[in-house]
Amino acid sequence: MKVVEEYSQLLEIASRTGGGASALGDKDTVYMVVHANKIIGKNILPGVEIDAVETAEGIDAVITVTKGTIIEKPVHMCFGHLGHEGKQVIKSKMVIEDGARAEFLAHCIFPNAVEFLHAMEGEIQIGENASFAYREVHVHGREGKIKVRPKSKVVVGGNSSYIGDFTLVEGRVGDLDIEIEVEARGAHSHVDIRSKIYGKYDDICKIKDVILLNGEGSSALVKARVVLKDESKGSFLGLVDGAAAGARGHVDCTEVVQGRAVAEASPVVRASHPEAEVTHEAAIGRIADEKIEGLMAKGLSEEESIEVIVSGLLR
Amino acid sequence: MIWGENKLKESLLYVDDITVMREEKEVLKDVSIKVLPGEITGILGRNGAGKSSLAYAVMGLPNYKPKKGAMYFRGQDITNWGITERARAGITLAWQHPARYEGISVAEYLKISSRKEIDVRKMEEALNLVQLESSYLSRKVDKSLSGGERKRIELASVYLMNSQLTILDEPDSGVDLLAMADIISLFRKMTENGRSVLIITHREDVASQCDRSYLMCSGEIVLEGTAEAVRRYFLSQCIPCPEHKDETGETQE
Ligand SMILES: Nc1ncnc2c1ncn2[C@@H]1O[C@H](COP(=O)(O)OP(=O)(O)O)[C@@H](O)[C@H]1O
Ligand SMILES: [Mg+2]
Repeated sequence: MKVVEEYSQLLEIASRTGGGASALGDKDTVYMVVHANKIIGKNILPGVEIDAVETAEGIDAVITVTKGTIIEKPVHMCFGHLGHEGKQVIKSKMVIEDGARAEFLAHCIFPNAVEFLHAMEGEIQIGENASFAYREVHVHGREGKIKVRPKSKVVVGGNSSYIGDFTLVEGRVGDLDIEIEVEARGAHSHVDIRSKIYGKYDDICKIKDVILLNGEGSSALVKARVVLKDESKGSFLGLVDGAAAGARGHVDCTEVVQGRAVAEASPVVRASHPEAEVTHEAAIGRIADEKIEGLMAKGLSEEESIEVIVSGLLR
Repeated sequence: MIWGENKLKESLLYVDDITVMREEKEVLKDVSIKVLPGEITGILGRNGAGKSSLAYAVMGLPNYKPKKGAMYFRGQDITNWGITERARAGITLAWQHPARYEGISVAEYLKISSRKEIDVRKMEEALNLVQLESSYLSRKVDKSLSGGERKRIELASVYLMNSQLTILDEPDSGVDLLAMADIISLFRKMTENGRSVLIITHREDVASQCDRSYLMCSGEIVLEGTAEAVRRYFLSQCIPCPEHKDETGETQE
């Protein structure tokens, strides 16, 4: 396949994933498109530095949003592979300097992957008075069991915020094992981690979110919405440790099972500082009959009702 | 039976002698009611009388399938119909405690109700009738709504459905902000063009606004008559309840 074709296919799929992905390719938008281990498109604007090298299995990148830079339009990163099998390993270091503000949208597109490994090792450093959002949306095919291994370590500075959002609802999940570890290091830093996953067939969905609230007055919200059907399996581990005075944390996990799917959730909340407060709510189970019947009484079929409920949960 | 056939012909809904069991208990015993076109019919009864169970049986909830008796809607035997079929045929229910839906906006929820494209103006008009501002359209039908707001959205939703038969289960509970006159005029709107409303309530002042009422007690219909007759009987015989030693006669919803 020619690079031009790969490029246009990836962009076409990315544009369906929302978040204004149609901006990919625009001159006033910062973006990078990677197919397998090749950077096939890139646009950089002042205030953003992307230092990327192609490796045997993917790319290594250092991305910096320089001091005080405010990027209005989301930065788009497209990582894809159109092949059936292979491997893509993305190693990245992102530095959001003091006072900078940016939102990154990562489109991970593997529409044909069957025997495939997509691994990401990310390190994110957020300075003081900065804000950074990293939203990752995956599009997988209907077949195969792609292995997805995103691992990230994030450190958040004083008065800064980090939003991490992971969505994998289109196509099969495959075999997902996502690990996020965030340290809210600075005083009054804020962390918001959300995961939305829709497991089907014999998919495996493992989520591990660990948040350390080390900064005074730091706060975190960890939210997971996992829908599992057929014979898929899901497990969620959310750990929030309030280790500083005034730290506030909350873990909110809902896992809905259908068919013979199996779910597990362990919200672990710890207040290792006496003046910290961490709470949790977790619900695992089938969709309540009253929810389904409520929509059926409006004329929807049972299947349509479930679809509406699930789409709302995964939004 | 000729008597039965007549009832069948003139009624929009005819519930014929149904008994419904829940865990070995008869929550409805030999219940018969009819709902006539263009009328508001009331089911009055104290807490635990079996009123919601009757609503669920009419709506077709699988757990409330009668073990005996039959139900007819527009002359058709619907006893074995599912919820969706009944809804599509023109029966709907505004639940006593409507379910919550994470991520679904009020606008989307109202659209589901009408089952076709519906313009914003109509939705705003429906919200207006239950005294909610149009800004509610972008709210979510989730835990963030108060009980009263959720109930009012349910009323707006069934209003937009335009069903032949709208069952309202304790429609006034939690909607204190709406004046009785407003709420009754909303129910009257739901009876336009020969459509009917079945109101389930434990409040005799609500029941007294109906065209006809039934009084329910321990899963049985104990009286059928004009709203006024049923109201008087209820006030004199049911408060306090002779069987449940209860001084005040107060019922919680
Ligand atoms: N799932 C159930 N299992 C057993 N009994 C039930 C169940 N649901 C309701 N009931 C009983 O059925 C009776 C009628 O309940 P309900 O129809 O809710 O009354 P109302 O709406 O008049 O307050 C009550 O005595 C209640 O305890
Ligand atoms: Mg009730």
